[in-house]
Amino acid sequence: MKLHFRPESCSFSFLSGITDDFSIFASHSLCACSTVSAPRLSPLLLLLHTPPPPLPHATSADPSRGLVSWVSLSRKMELSESVQRGLQSLADPSSFDQSGFQVLTGVSFRSLLSSHGDPGVLDQPELKQIDQILLKQCHTAAITFILEAVRHNADKSTISSCLEELTFSAERVEIFYSAYEKHKKELERLLASIGRRRPHVNDVSWRLQYHMKNSQVDKVNEPFYLISLNTENEGSSEDINFTCTMEQLQVEEIILFTVCLPASNLLFRC
Amino acid sequence: MLLVLSEDHKEHLAFLPKVDAAVVREFGRIALEFLRRGSSPKIYEGAARKLCVPVDMVQHGVEGLMFLMTESSKHMISEMDFLDSVLALGFGDELNQILLQLYLQHHSQIRSILSQLPSNLPAYHNLEWRLDVQLASRSVCQQVIPMLTMRLSRVLQTDPSTLLHLISTLEAALSAIKTSHSRRVLRNIK
Repeated sequence: MKLHFRPESCSFSFLSGITDDFSIFASHSLCACSTVSAPRLSPLLLLLHTPPPPLPHATSADPSRGLVSWVSLSRKMELSESVQRGLQSLADPSSFDQSGFQVLTGVSFRSLLSSHGDPGVLDQPELKQIDQILLKQCHTAAITFILEAVRHNADKSTISSCLEELTFSAERVEIFYSAYEKHKKELERLLASIGRRRPHVNDVSWRLQYHMKNSQVDKVNEPFYLISLNTENEGSSEDINFTCTMEQLQVEEIILFTVCLPASNLLFRC
Repeated sequence: MLLVLSEDHKEHLAFLPKVDAAVVREFGRIALEFLRRGSSPKIYEGAARKLCVPVDMVQHGVEGLMFLMTESSKHMISEMDFLDSVLALGFGDELNQILLQLYLQHHSQIRSILSQLPSNLPAYHNLEWRLDVQLASRSVCQQVIPMLTMRLSRVLQTDPSTLLHLISTLEAALSAIKTSHSRRVLRNIK
């Protein structure tokens, strides 16, 4: 049984070329903006903010060892200087009082989960006293940190130690972590939905017909099936139709049942 | 079932009694070859030159023979019906027997050629499959997502739970043909 990797899951060298351009673009837009509205950076753009881990040596005699070392390299969360600075400001009680901190935490999670960008997301009364540029920097830092944590499936100890290093008080860590726990599953789903996919088969419908004759041949007298696979690809659905005889359907079913199902059961147990 | 031959068709086939039995057998062989692989004008010209007749006549004769064979095979007419249909052409016994032999030897082959003529619906050929497990992606570092990739007409993907559903639905489809209603239809429509 071969394990295959799809390009976006392992070709970091290709994507990192684009990363530099995007991160420059993103930081420009953050600093130049002086209005109240916060730019809603898509999760993808924020991911490109963080530098990808270096690739392990390509020529490894044992490919599975290469895989393990690649996975373990990417376990460590890496935060850029600007994100660390933004979080430190967020932790500072002189910049953000308790209510301001709570509101900004809530707003950060909400802005990731809402499907439309809301230019007025930072228009909260508790945040009016705070310098607007600092507010945006802290907001961006917070959502970058949230995405990195979800991406690495960070547990409580990782998040706590990370935030404590950035001078978060125990109380603020607790507030942040409880919001993280509450929204983690939904964020995981959001991140997992990023990426290219082949059309996905959702359903099958069938029709049994009796072929009597056609324009070329008389007295055919054979039953046949018309199978319709309902597939979906990025929101648009499509039906794939084809005909097959009873024998062909039996073969297809045997292949699916006896070969694929035990293989996928085996994987579930791993 | 008797074949009803049009006047044009009878006129085209009227060329056949004018040539030897060997030539008729050769025309029969050419007609079958053309049914398998498509016609070739050079053959008509060669034959017309040898027989000192116009190319048209040879072409019509061979095409008439092809049409006689395809129509007979299409309707799967019996030996008796074939002979009775051909009687209308007014040929001699020997020629009728040659035509009958041609039909009996090749009708199943002709039928399978006819059934391969393109139909409107895409048909199943084979299923290629592959089981993948996605372990990570750029946006999520730890995943275990098994997925089945299949190629029918296009490359498609599905997950194990949908696969189970597909299998149970297809099993229901297969059992539909074994119901008493289906058996009755299959038995009675012949």
